[in-house]
Amino acid sequence: MKHLSTITVFSQNTPGVLYRIADLFLRRKINIESLTVSEIELPGQSRFTITVRADGDLVEKVVKQLYRIIEVSKVVDSLDHELIFKELSFIKVHTKDAAARHELERLAQMSGAKITYVTGRFLVIEKAGTEEEINNIYQLLKPYGIKEFVRSGRIAVFKE
Amino acid sequence: MKMMGSQAVMESLVQAGVKIVFGYPGGAIMPIYDALYDYQDKIKHVLVRHEQGAAHAAEGYARACGKPGVCFATSGPGATNLVTGIADAMLDSVPIVCITGQVTSALIGSDAFQEADVIGVTTPITKWNYQIIKAAEIPEVLAKAFHIATTGRPGPVVIDITKDAQFGRLDFFYPKKVTIASYNPNLFPHPKQIELAAELLNNAKRPYVLFGHGVLIAKAEKELRTLIEKGGLPAAATLHGISALPADHPLYVGFLGMHGNYGPNVLSNKADVVLAVGMRFDDRVTGRLKDYLPRAKIIHIDIDPAELNKNVKTYIPIVADAKIALQELTQKIKKNHHRPWLAEFRKCDQLEMTKVIKNESYPRAGQIKMAEVITMLSEKTKGRAIIVVDVGQHQMVAARYYKPVLADSFITSGGMGTMGFALPAGMGAKFAAPEREVIVVCGDGGFQMNIQELATIAQEQIPLKIIILNNSYLGMVRQWQELFFNKRYSSTRLQNPDFIQIAKGFYIKGEKVQDRSDLSLALSRLIKAKTPYLLEIMVEKEGNVFPMVPSGASVEEIRLE
Repeated sequence: MKHLSTITVFSQNTPGVLYRIADLFLRRKINIESLTVSEIELPGQSRFTITVRADGDLVEKVVKQLYRIIEVSKVVDSLDHELIFKELSFIKVHTKDAAARHELERLAQMSGAKITYVTGRFLVIEKAGTEEEINNIYQLLKPYGIKEFVRSGRIAVFKE
Repeated sequence: MKMMGSQAVMESLVQAGVKIVFGYPGGAIMPIYDALYDYQDKIKHVLVRHEQGAAHAAEGYARACGKPGVCFATSGPGATNLVTGIADAMLDSVPIVCITGQVTSALIGSDAFQEADVIGVTTPITKWNYQIIKAAEIPEVLAKAFHIATTGRPGPVVIDITKDAQFGRLDFFYPKKVTIASYNPNLFPHPKQIELAAELLNNAKRPYVLFGHGVLIAKAEKELRTLIEKGGLPAAATLHGISALPADHPLYVGFLGMHGNYGPNVLSNKADVVLAVGMRFDDRVTGRLKDYLPRAKIIHIDIDPAELNKNVKTYIPIVADAKIALQELTQKIKKNHHRPWLAEFRKCDQLEMTKVIKNESYPRAGQIKMAEVITMLSEKTKGRAIIVVDVGQHQMVAARYYKPVLADSFITSGGMGTMGFALPAGMGAKFAAPEREVIVVCGDGGFQMNIQELATIAQEQIPLKIIILNNSYLGMVRQWQELFFNKRYSSTRLQNPDFIQIAKGFYIKGEKVQDRSDLSLALSRLIKAKTPYLLEIMVEKEGNVFPMVPSGASVEEIRLE
């Protein structure tokens, strides 16, 4: 059964590791839904947060193969309930008049989003949250006319 | 000590214990070749005639002596020509270190002359790769390369060195010990798992040991032998496991897989406990996976955790070095025997003997058969030669009929099935084991895929013996066309050149055998020769290799004819 897995990979921060990781998913025909990489608290170490929708057995095999990468020190495969996780999104929305702007400000506030940038023609709403929360605000804003929409990949920390 | 990057490469190789390099020079690796000129007394360089030959020669060298094989190639086409050999080494877990020249770092990415993204190309087929752009990195990276290539599950490493790094200067320091925080192959088995495995084996009625390349890599031949003798356990080899146990050992039941022996395949599914050591349940071994080992609880020992539970469900996974795991397991198992179970294998052997082997190994009429050549070769060399085999029908025949009694004596391309492997790999093996007889066995197809290496063999004057089993077909493909494609022989017939004239052109002695009556003496001449020697043997054109587990069938559906 396909389900959403979050795979957290700890590795040395050297060029080429991302290539090797991506290749392993590619070979197994697993589409990466999102991928975030950054340096972490330990110097020279990176943390990859990868979400995939795939069969659990297959994910387990890929996890083991990820360990074959020399620079990889640890791989954790988690389900949502084991994690604190969020994404960040920017939504640029048309504001044809002051009323619309006012309404959008109210919607943003209601959804726990922030207005980051305002001009006479549009404003940029910043929303951090789960994929679902971001989808919700996107749907709410859609009728106003979305000029641009971008979201980051998931980042997550373990509850345990 | 201050030196140039190119010298640091040579100095690092000396420090790593490298005695021989197979390679081919070119623009971007010229500084290294220049440095090599001063190291000729310490490191021998073998000038191959195509870089693919260098990669396979390095593989053959590593397979025959267990030390890493090294090759040099220039940037661009030099490096891309190595690719097949690198992929081959990856699939067969062979430690090779390939050093490639790269264009000057300022030119990388600019589509410069002879520039190829070697790191990009080789990433999926290497255990590790790295591009050096600063001379100062050379000793440490090369030390790491050898460490990674040879430890854990061995594999190929590519180090790409820019021309400016070769010209750069550095203070040379070669680390004695390499530690990589994220890379620590687990050598020691979990004691609890060993206990559980021993208990399972002690209570088994029909235990069965499947051993592979891992036993040879770990140099665990003696440990395997001690274990099976103590437990009275019948044992079968994968293609790469051949020679890990002497072929005449009373508990050896034969070779597994698509064209393996009858008993080892058909009885797999009767086993109640299977101990798999250093093998990876390749599809050529398992046949249709869902009907494989239906009655068995599987104990699987491998140093690569990713192999456990990859293809078959494992009851007791053991991540460890085969040598250590087998030692510890032997201590825990009880002395036992399984004579009735072993007798079942022997009964199968008899059936295979009457239905297949007798006629294949000792035919009285008709054209010469591949199996009779290999049987005779095995008898004449007493199984003591290193046989380096190409890919196809003759490969399966050699695996079936050559009976090696010494370890590391059966070298072939298993995982990749690379035609053209044997001639250069045989050359590498001969350099690794000059005191042993090394015999290359090729088909007429594969021989032509790296035929240029005859020049290297002639130049080096290594007494490598070459047998071409010529059936004027791409035999294995033709066999499949006959059996599964309604005899539509699409592009499998070869109109071959005169191989003896070709050998002569390369200054290599050769002779051609067409009649059975000439075979024995010709083989003796081949073995006795003190120089490179080529024997072309015309064999039955449309011979088939049996037994055979048809593709996609269960091992139980193995066909004897």
